[in-house]
Amino acid sequence: MADQRRRGGNRRRRKVDFIAANHIEYIDYKDTELLQRFISERGKILPRRVTGTSAKNQRRLTVAIKRSRIMGLLPFVAED
Amino acid sequence: MLATKYEITYIVRPDLDNEAKQALVERFDKILTDNGAQIADSKDWSTRRFAYEIGGFNEGTYHVVNLTTDQAEALNEFDRLAKISDGILRHMIVKRDAE
Repeated sequence: MADQRRRGGNRRRRKVDFIAANHIEYIDYKDTELLQRFISERGKILPRRVTGTSAKNQRRLTVAIKRSRIMGLLPFVAED
Repeated sequence: MLATKYEITYIVRPDLDNEAKQALVERFDKILTDNGAQIADSKDWSTRRFAYEIGGFNEGTYHVVNLTTDQAEALNEFDRLAKISDGILRHMIVKRDAE
């Protein structure tokens, strides 16, 4: 609704599901470059309201990030 | 029962020399094949720095094995021995469903 109106200060950029847009069928927990996009500087998983990921992909993403953390590829907590 | 695809990743200690590492990889490949698993490929992924310290080390070599098996025996045996093994810092067995 806000996207269609050109005027008005609260125009938001349409968020796209990065995973669906790039046709990633299997989210590999070893692909840290991809997963890095979805974690904050402190190492926390970003909510989907921030990233625009679909619910299905967010669930798969969460699993992949947690696996990645266990294998020492991503931090559980990152100090700045 | 249908054969299922699995992917095993394990981290080899960085202070092993090439020969010892080779022997370790071969030993664990053999454990899998002896228990009825078919290994599709087994290769080193890369040596990377960890995001946090594991077992006193800051980096390690990741080894990835893709396999198919229709019984859990090979995986259970691998899991048991990988836990005991000194050379393996950490391992993970993941089911790869049809992609």
